[in-house]
Amino acid sequence: MHNLLLVAKREYLEQVRGRAFRLTTVLVPALFAIIIGVGFLSGRSTGANKHLVVAAPDTVLANDIRDQLLADKSAKATVEVIAPAGGEDRDALVKRVSAKEIDGFLWIEQPAGKDPVATYESQSSGDFVTEAKLSSALNHSLIQGRLEQRGVKQSEADALLARIEIKTLQVNKEGKVVKSNAQTSFWKGYVMAILLSMTTMIYGMNVARSIIQEKTSRIFEVMLSTAKPSDLLAGKLIGVGAVGLTQIAIWVVAAVALLSTAFAAPLMSGDLAIHFSWVEGVLFPLYFVLGYLLYSSLFAGLAATCETEQELQMYTPLAAVPIWLSFSLIVLIINDSNSVWSIAASMFPPCAPIIMFLRMGSSMPQPWEFALSISLMIVSIIGVLWVSTKLYRVGILMYGKRATLPEMLRWLRYS
Amino acid sequence: MSVVEVLGVTKAYRDKVAVNNLSLSIEPGQMFGLLGPNGSGKTSSIRMMIGITFPDSGDIRLFDEPFSRKHLARVGYLPEERGLYKKMKVLDQLIFMGGLHGLSPEEAKKRAIAWAKKMDIAGSLLKKTEELSKGMQQKIQFIAALMHDPDLIIMDEPFSGLDPVNATLLQDTLLELKAQGKAILFSTHRMDQVEKLCDSIALIHQGNRVLSGKVREIKSRYKRDRVVMEFEGSAEFLNGAEIAEAKNYSGHAEIKLKEGGDAQKLLAEAASMATIYRFELVEPSLEEIFIQAVGGKADA
Repeated sequence: MHNLLLVAKREYLEQVRGRAFRLTTVLVPALFAIIIGVGFLSGRSTGANKHLVVAAPDTVLANDIRDQLLADKSAKATVEVIAPAGGEDRDALVKRVSAKEIDGFLWIEQPAGKDPVATYESQSSGDFVTEAKLSSALNHSLIQGRLEQRGVKQSEADALLARIEIKTLQVNKEGKVVKSNAQTSFWKGYVMAILLSMTTMIYGMNVARSIIQEKTSRIFEVMLSTAKPSDLLAGKLIGVGAVGLTQIAIWVVAAVALLSTAFAAPLMSGDLAIHFSWVEGVLFPLYFVLGYLLYSSLFAGLAATCETEQELQMYTPLAAVPIWLSFSLIVLIINDSNSVWSIAASMFPPCAPIIMFLRMGSSMPQPWEFALSISLMIVSIIGVLWVSTKLYRVGILMYGKRATLPEMLRWLRYS
Repeated sequence: MSVVEVLGVTKAYRDKVAVNNLSLSIEPGQMFGLLGPNGSGKTSSIRMMIGITFPDSGDIRLFDEPFSRKHLARVGYLPEERGLYKKMKVLDQLIFMGGLHGLSPEEAKKRAIAWAKKMDIAGSLLKKTEELSKGMQQKIQFIAALMHDPDLIIMDEPFSGLDPVNATLLQDTLLELKAQGKAILFSTHRMDQVEKLCDSIALIHQGNRVLSGKVREIKSRYKRDRVVMEFEGSAEFLNGAEIAEAKNYSGHAEIKLKEGGDAQKLLAEAASMATIYRFELVEPSLEEIFIQAVGGKADA
């Protein structure tokens, strides 16, 4: 026990004092802030400041569409109207698009006795935001026109077509209704799942890298003359895990400090309110520890069979598989976070931490689900640790070449 | 009392027998040499003595008791594969190593500083290991192996990679420790070093012990059949009946006598033809004894 703690302390202090720790502590949240910021700004600017032309055989319809488009002040669009438009107008508009005088034009044709046909021609074929706005404006104007043709007054038609925003509220664990937003709470779960997968991966790989470094520096032989291999491995896992928890604690403290400032006030109230519960506060470090132990013990065993970090990198995709798998199930979870499949996926130990947080983004799973997923993780950690300790015990003293699978199986029998 | 006893130990890896039925015993105050060419089983034997690996058969006893990890606190080990944490400061590293051997941080620090002064590396204590030369790093490893004042010191090829000045410093330190009653075992493939330092040896080849015992006794078992001469005058006597093989380097001759050849007859014959400045009947070196013992098949 004494040696285990010494190894853990050395590992912790060396990593916490290292430059990599300082850099990742600052850079990871900064990176997240940049990604979220860029996403937010690009979302706001997509489809804005467009110079468009609406060309239709019917002047009323064209003007209606223009009014609809201009009603969205944030779009800051410039809309010209050509009505009634003829064939030569279309050629001229194509030329204007190609000369980049305008961003695009909406061409509406009205075949006799049939529904209108609309075409949007633009510089960019992938501008789905503008396309969606045009579609909404066109349909709104057409429906309004049809209602008026059926004798509905314009004011009544406007009232019928008025958009109604859905206000979302979330019922929390205490049964209280809090202001929330389905999107923000999903994004909160998503960001927490990414943070969790990143930290478990980073620190799992840190353990592996540290073992390879000790193996290549040949320090194991000295260590083994005083400490048991199991103490060395356990000390390393605890030391590196404590570094991860320290980093998470720094992020949490910094986030709490930041969220209590006036700058973050819009995030804590209003439509975009983000609510963190104490359950999330407990589950995040708990799932980090479990996920980290599962990954790091797996990688510790594999690292002991390798000679260099390059060899270890061959196994990196193996670690990424559960993460890819977890995030590929995102649609399933959004659709119904409490479906049998969502629950089953959140019980599968390699995916459990990520999927649980993705599910929590939609709705809070039942306590028994947490208990079962945590129990299954603990059982699988014990299993992986048992195999890894055996590989580690033999592997750290094997120099010269990377072990093949038959050799690893033999090591398992030896130790 | 025996500090370490190896009793009929055998260790095999897959189809290769690394150590075959090896027995040896080391007393306090004894310097013991484990000799043999590379790959002969020296490191495998040492690893079993300190519980890094375990024998397939046979027993290891430390301090007159069956092997137990508690004994390792009284053992200092310098492995052949040297290793230190490259990014760690030397002093922190020594305090950590001392801690693994049961020293408190304060005591480890005190001893590390005292040893660093003795080994002439006190100025490097606050540097990172990677900033130091190989020789300096090796000295740090000596300190790590010795700072907890072990009763049994095991050093695997301790002189490899050291310059003559540092090799002498280590040699003197080991002799000092021997005088204090410590038992010292070191392995080497450099047999000339062992002749000067060790009281007893075990010569191993392909996992088998081919010779063991006190150096003087082993050497006395082999006949003195080599002569070194320095002379001036005719070298005709080198073709004499007593000589099996002779090399003459302008007045310096190295002679191997025939089986049953008489050195005194050779001396008389030589003196009749030349002026003799030196005539020495030389005992065989351990290397020659080793080659004889394995029937000229040594790959050292």
